[in-house]
Parts: sequence; C-alpha cells; structure tokens
Amino acid sequence: MKFQASFVQPPSVAAWLVDLFTPQEYAESITGDLLEEFSALASKSGVALARRWYWRQSAKTVVGLIGTGFRAAPWSMVGTVLAGFLLLEYATTLPERAIVAVIHLRNHHVTPFYDSKGLASHLFWLNNGILIGRLLVSLIIGCFVAVAAKGREMVAAMTVGFVSVVITVMIFGVLVAKHQPVDPTFLPTILIHQFAGSCMIVIGGVIVRESRSAMSRRSSGV
Amino acid sequence: MSNRDYLGEFEHIVILALLRLADRAYGVTVRQEIETRTGREVSIGAIYATLDRLEAKGYVKSQFGEPTPERGGRSKRFFQVTAKGMSAVNRTHRAVQRMIQGLDLVANLS
Repeated sequence: MKFQASFVQPPSVAAWLVDLFTPQEYAESITGDLLEEFSALASKSGVALARRWYWRQSAKTVVGLIGTGFRAAPWSMVGTVLAGFLLLEYATTLPERAIVAVIHLRNHHVTPFYDSKGLASHLFWLNNGILIGRLLVSLIIGCFVAVAAKGREMVAAMTVGFVSVVITVMIFGVLVAKHQPVDPTFLPTILIHQFAGSCMIVIGGVIVRESRSAMSRRSSGV
Repeated sequence: MSNRDYLGEFEHIVILALLRLADRAYGVTVRQEIETRTGREVSIGAIYATLDRLEAKGYVKSQFGEPTPERGGRSKRFFQVTAKGMSAVNRTHRAVQRMIQGLDLVANLS
C-alpha cells in the first residue's frame, strides 16, 4: 500500500540513524510510532519543538538499541565480532603481500625500476596502494560482519571497528613498554590508518543495512 | 522459563501499561501512558526492547494492524498480555506485597 507524504517530515538524518540501528523486525513499528508522535506534536506544539523531540527520542533510541544489540543475543554477537576481528587481522596483510609480490615480480622480470619513474611508481604503490587495499579489505569485512549479524548490522560493524582500534593501540603500547624497536611517533599515523579502516568497516555495515532496508521496503510497499 | 521468574522494574511498568490500555496498546500509547503516569520520559526504543524481551519469554504477544497515512503507511504493532504474562505480574505483585508487609512506608518517608 502506498501513501503520499503530505505532512511535515521529521529530521531526515535522525530518521536515517534510527532506521540504521533498528532491528528489522521492529523497524516498521518504531519508525511508524516516531512519525505518528512527531506529526501529532508538530500540529499541536509547532515543528521546531517536534523536531527537537524527534532528535531526543532518536538519540535515546539509538543508544538503547546499541545496548540491546548485545543483551538480546550476546553469544552470537561476540562470535560475529570475534570472527570479524580475526578475519580482519588475517586479511589486512593480504594487500601488502599482493602488492609487494607484484612489484617484486615486475622489477625482476618485466621492468626493473632502475630509473626515477620506476622508483616513483614503486614508492607510490608501496605507500598508497597498500593503504587503499587495506581500506577496501576493511569495507569488505564490514559487509561480511553485517551480513552475519542479521538485524544488528550496525552494532556488529561498529564493535569490530572499535575493537580493532583498541587492540592496535594496546599492541603498540605493549611493544613500546617492552622497548621493542617501535618509534612512538608512528602512533598518530597508525591511529589515523586504523581509524580510517574502522570507518570503512562501519560503511560496510551501512551498505548491507541499507540494502536490506530497501529490500524490506520494496516487499512491504512502504 | 521457571515459574519463579519475577518481572524487572521496567518490564513490570510496561506490562501494567499494556493491561491499562487493553486493545489500544501499541508503541505510541504505551510510551505516552508510562510518561503520563510515572512522569518519566522513555524512548520508544526502550519500550520495544522490553516488549521484545517479554515476547521472547511468552509474557506478551503481538499482531500488526492496518497501515495508516499518519504513520507514512506503516502498520501499528498491537501488544497483548498472555496468561503466562498475567501469572508473572501476579507473582511479582505478591512478592512485592510480602516485602512491603510490616513496613510503615509513610512513616519512613516523613
């Protein structure tokens, strides 16, 4: 059944956030309830107040749903997050290995980089290719994690992203404390790369969640 | 689920709201009923998280109503307390009453 939206619309970002974090079995009820109360409040007390109310409700709802994501199915969530993290640990080295292998093959058998152009290309792929590859791997893992955590896509993807940053910082701290040959000034760069990777994991979660929501909307005709 | 299970504080409040609202109990009315009677602002997410838990325990059941225009074509989800839910409410009330018995609450508050 199709309905024309002729009334005042709630803040789109807040509505999008609620939709992202709501388990699919309750998505229709929660967004419908929020819209119904928002419309009633907008006609009774004005749009500005209704919008503030909607933001407040959305923020509380999202925070509550993140906690519920763990409480409702703790073991499956822990399993998904752990599997995602292990996969991430394994797969993030793949782009580096692949790029180094290709460069190595090219330098030895195709066009050795004895000129400045070859050296520049070599350095470009070492510096940027590995980073781009890692970001793509993080995006794909975010998608995998979200697919596995059906209904709690965002909570699972955000947790994997968060855990990967925390564990990287912990490992770095341990290495520095044990006086391993690690330069502490590398930490900001590592953190930026890790944070970018975590963002890509979350974006992977958003992609899967949005695809599922679109499919669900198509099937229900809303 | 054991027949010794008691309702949590918010579960108790939500079930009482469902009983008060009878066949009008869905997210919006439950939220407003709790807000009006307790003066506590609750989020719709907290209501559904609790209802989901209660439904998993078999204390409430739900069914979808017709889609309506003011909800952007989305259906209401109506909730109803089951016989098992009623037993849990009664059990919880009896436990609370036994705990209150002999206490002079008014005197303690003043």
